Amino acid sequence: MKVLSNLLIANIKQFVRERAALFWSFAFPLIFILMFGAVFSGTDDISFSVGLVMEDDSPSAQTLSTVLGQVTAFELSTGEKDSELQALNDGDRGAVIVVPADFGETISQGGKGNIDVYYDPAKSSSQQALLPIIRQVLNEFDRIVGQAPSLVQLNEKTLQTRDMRAIDYLVPGILAMAMMQLGLFAAELLVMDRENRVLKRLGATPLRRSTLIGSAVIFRLIIALGQAALIIIVARLVFDVPMMGNWLFLAGMVILGTLTFLSLGYMISAFVRTQEAVMPLIMAIQFPMMFLSGIFFPIEFMPGFMRPIVEAMPLTYLGDSLRQIMVDAAPLHDHWVNVGVLGGWFVVSLVVAVRFFKWE
Amino acid sequence: MSAVLEVQNLRKTYGDIKAVSDVSFVVEQGEIFGMLGPNGAGKTTTMEIVEGLRIADSGNVRVLGMDIKQRPRRIKASIGVQLQTTSLYPRLTVREVLDLFGSFFPRAVPSGELIKLVGLEDSSNKFCKNLSGGQQQRLSVALALVNDPQILFFDEPTAGLDPQARHNIWDVIRLAKEKGKTVFLTTHYMEEAERLCDRVAIIDHGEIIATDSPEKLIEQYFKEEAIEFQLDRPLAGEVLRQLAGATNVVTENGKVTVYSNAVPATISALMEMARQMGMKLTDLYVRRATLEDVFLKLTGRRIRD
Repeated sequence: MKVLSNLLIANIKQFVRERAALFWSFAFPLIFILMFGAVFSGTDDISFSVGLVMEDDSPSAQTLSTVLGQVTAFELSTGEKDSELQALNDGDRGAVIVVPADFGETISQGGKGNIDVYYDPAKSSSQQALLPIIRQVLNEFDRIVGQAPSLVQLNEKTLQTRDMRAIDYLVPGILAMAMMQLGLFAAELLVMDRENRVLKRLGATPLRRSTLIGSAVIFRLIIALGQAALIIIVARLVFDVPMMGNWLFLAGMVILGTLTFLSLGYMISAFVRTQEAVMPLIMAIQFPMMFLSGIFFPIEFMPGFMRPIVEAMPLTYLGDSLRQIMVDAAPLHDHWVNVGVLGGWFVVSLVVAVRFFKWE
Repeated sequence: MSAVLEVQNLRKTYGDIKAVSDVSFVVEQGEIFGMLGPNGAGKTTTMEIVEGLRIADSGNVRVLGMDIKQRPRRIKASIGVQLQTTSLYPRLTVREVLDLFGSFFPRAVPSGELIKLVGLEDSSNKFCKNLSGGQQQRLSVALALVNDPQILFFDEPTAGLDPQARHNIWDVIRLAKEKGKTVFLTTHYMEEAERLCDRVAIIDHGEIIATDSPEKLIEQYFKEEAIEFQLDRPLAGEVLRQLAGATNVVTENGKVTVYSNAVPATISALMEMARQMGMKLTDLYVRRATLEDVFLKLTGRRIRD
């Protein structure tokens, strides 16, 4: 026990004295959160700049203008047709609505009033979001002018107690990513220690291998819990991301996730001899996981044929569980499925690592 | 004197390569025993088997009377291993590393004592990564001494060191001997083996070809002295071998070594020959035979090939 704690203290001293290690472990995930947080924060209140050209000042046209003005998603600016179309061209408007001069007259004669909507089809937001809103507005206008009662009232209710923002989705994902990197990068250190004969030097003392590995694992678990705490606190203070679930459960998942990726890292180091070879292999494993396991965006966004790959990755399950615990996200899988899959990865990679690892 | 290290019929192969084949030797209490041979001769493999770092294919190793296969941890607690590693805890200080290593053993020498012994007083609070090459070497010696071991193992202790640092390490090794410790070292430096070791085992291609004290080895294989010189043109060895007193001739990169049991006669004959043939002779000097010559005679190669 004494030796184990001495090794642990040595590891911690080494770690805090190395600024690069501190940066990658603590600052890097935070930078990720701040960066993505800034990128996504704009999308919370979606608003479109819409140009309105009134060539008619009949009562009907006035009503339409009023209804359009009530749409919160629109930032309405009124102007001449030429200047508004130019603004659309310059990308300053999402769409331009033109109410022609004969609009009111046509309606009062019982005809169908035509309005023109100009938009840039290259902008997907215009087609996907703007046009449906405008259609909605015109229906509303029809109802007001025709004085028909509305038959159906839409009450919006979401399943979650709280709206899920992009940043809420992202923070547990980044936490999972940090655990993955912590585990996988252990492979580099181990291969380095073997190549530089550190393992051999330690092997020439009565130090037990189990003590050596035990202290390394405990050291990484401490770092993992520290990272988790820091990420959660910063996300809470800066972006008001909640931590809704059970803290113990969260710590348990952080520990299981770290152990799983540590075993994966040790498995890698069992098959790679040199420092030059180990980094590319770690990258080849971590990058697909980072982008395909749904830690940054829901896996529903991915094409169907990718699903089997996604479902094979341990990071998918860790991310899913952390998201459920932290922000009460809709589960991909039941918790116990996640725990089971992670545990399976842990046991298999541990057995392979123990079987094939060479100390020299 | 009693044997502290007994090695019998040691064998180790890696695939098709015989790293060690049938090596036997005994190291006596209190001596400095050197294993001399070129790189790849099997020195390190032999040493690492004895230290319990590798398992032999066959053969017996007894350290301090204990079988290495049966009591590896007990043996590791009583031996000191010096290994050059620059990246052992780079961000711990010299003192911290010595304290940490000391805690691996049942009993340890206080770190302050070790620091003084190897002369690292001024660097005891430096991070290991900031030590110079020579200081790192001294730290590795201090680490080998941390458990006050009965036997010390040095694998190429001065490889790549400047002469000053080399002499420092030699002093530490001699000091260990004075304190009654047994030292087993490997080297491919002739001078190191000759000046430091009480007995030397010459090893080549995984086999020991001779074991004795440096003086006896030289005496046994060489009654002659060596005359060395440079020639300005190639000359067949047979011509030189006919010089008076010459017993053998080795030519290498224009450098000629004539072994002779009658040096004055050989030199005057050589001068006469050079004058007659109009050859230019430079860098002429006479030296007594060394282990290098013994190695050359036994293997037909120089040790640094």
